[in-house]
Amino acid sequence: MLLEQVEYVRPESVGDALEILASDDGAAPLAGGQSLVNVLKNRVASVDVLVDISRLAELSSIVRTADGGLSIGACVTYDALDRSPEVRESHWLLGDVAAHIEDQQIRNKGTIGGNCCLSDPTNNLPPVLVALDAVMELRSRTGERSVPAADFFKGYFATALEPGELLVSITVPPMPERSGAGYASLAVAADAKALVRAAARVTLDEGGATIADSRLVLARVAHVPVRDADAEARLKGADATEEAVRVACSGVADGMQPIADVHGTSEYRRQMAKVMARRAVAQAIAAARGSRNGSTAGGK
Amino acid sequence: MGERATSHSVTVEVNGEKVSRIVAARQLLVHFLRDTLGLTGTHIGCDTGNCGACSVIVDGKLVKSCMILAPQVDGAKIETVESLAQDGALSPLQESFHEHHALQCGYCTPGMLMSATYLLRQNPEPSDEEIRRGIRGNVCRCTGYVNIVEAIREASRGQATGRRSVHAAAGEEV
Repeated sequence: MLLEQVEYVRPESVGDALEILASDDGAAPLAGGQSLVNVLKNRVASVDVLVDISRLAELSSIVRTADGGLSIGACVTYDALDRSPEVRESHWLLGDVAAHIEDQQIRNKGTIGGNCCLSDPTNNLPPVLVALDAVMELRSRTGERSVPAADFFKGYFATALEPGELLVSITVPPMPERSGAGYASLAVAADAKALVRAAARVTLDEGGATIADSRLVLARVAHVPVRDADAEARLKGADATEEAVRVACSGVADGMQPIADVHGTSEYRRQMAKVMARRAVAQAIAAARGSRNGSTAGGK
Repeated sequence: MGERATSHSVTVEVNGEKVSRIVAARQLLVHFLRDTLGLTGTHIGCDTGNCGACSVIVDGKLVKSCMILAPQVDGAKIETVESLAQDGALSPLQESFHEHHALQCGYCTPGMLMSATYLLRQNPEPSDEEIRRGIRGNVCRCTGYVNIVEAIREASRGQATGRRSVHAAAGEEV
């Protein structure tokens, strides 16, 4: 397919990339390109110049932070996340979700930064990063700022990025003691977009019998991943049992208005959000008790 | 490559041969391979990154060449389906596809072969589940995949007989 005429440039440094991004409203960073190239084919966005950041070493590394967390470069591919011993060691779920995105070809090119900056509500990583309390590190020609993942996603294909700003890395704090993460996703077919998703992180009390703290993040019930604060409050102090989790998750997504389409009504999605939440929390509890620091079930 | 421009000089090694061309920034890698270099073994199926018919290996990584721009591969080593057969002799994987009737119309075959080649490099003895996962990005509308999975499995076990193809045996170009 013939794309619209466009310029291409491959800067030698992040600084050079930021200069170009700041100098031209029509400049767009090109990382893995697994969504952007299709956007260009469909001519739904007009881009003057593609700024290829995919080869910048600074954006492509996974580094263990001093506190035991992770600093993940924006251009780290899904495949690299999947294969990273560091990611698997401390944030197993993140590697596992990345390992199930689409197919090998796309995992070899698609990046964590692109996945987030596109802010497609069907993308897998945003709810996981919100559940893990990740922080998005943004840089522009004039400075840097850190934005919690929970505040980064603003709407359909919209993020907190200002013109001229680039997501350079994502900081994922260490998992608290006695914690685990879980993820559950419902799709009508293996290759279909998910109808509803839940990502959870649970911290157990010292005895391991009750839930001390949790994050419960729903995706596809709204334009962006949303924490269900009511459910989190009900989970706090609840027994870490199937029944207690079921009760705590019974009100999940109540009052929300998920989209309705040919794949499912709004009510169906609301009901399934409860089920996905229950499963994600149950997996997080199992992960907190087991050796794994996160587990997953369901499709992508 | 410091300057922004609508065309760029690109030097790549394609199937062991170094080539340099001026490419448009908007040219897709699959068009560079097919139209500019004449390597029409790589097929265009959906042109949306879904079907995998255009799969090639770039710097050791399996990718869909309809989802990459030609200037992005400057300096890369590219392997296409044309690299598999040597001097007219099919590779063991191609032999296995032939023996197991792993294609009908053949349109998806170049992509399937490249995905399977990549898979077997990463994982020389994949389980059937791993094989299916490995070709998940490749759509075949004819076979139902069973024979493709068999062909890859048998190739991984070195159980393709290694017979030269009927075409090669008959002295034809393949």
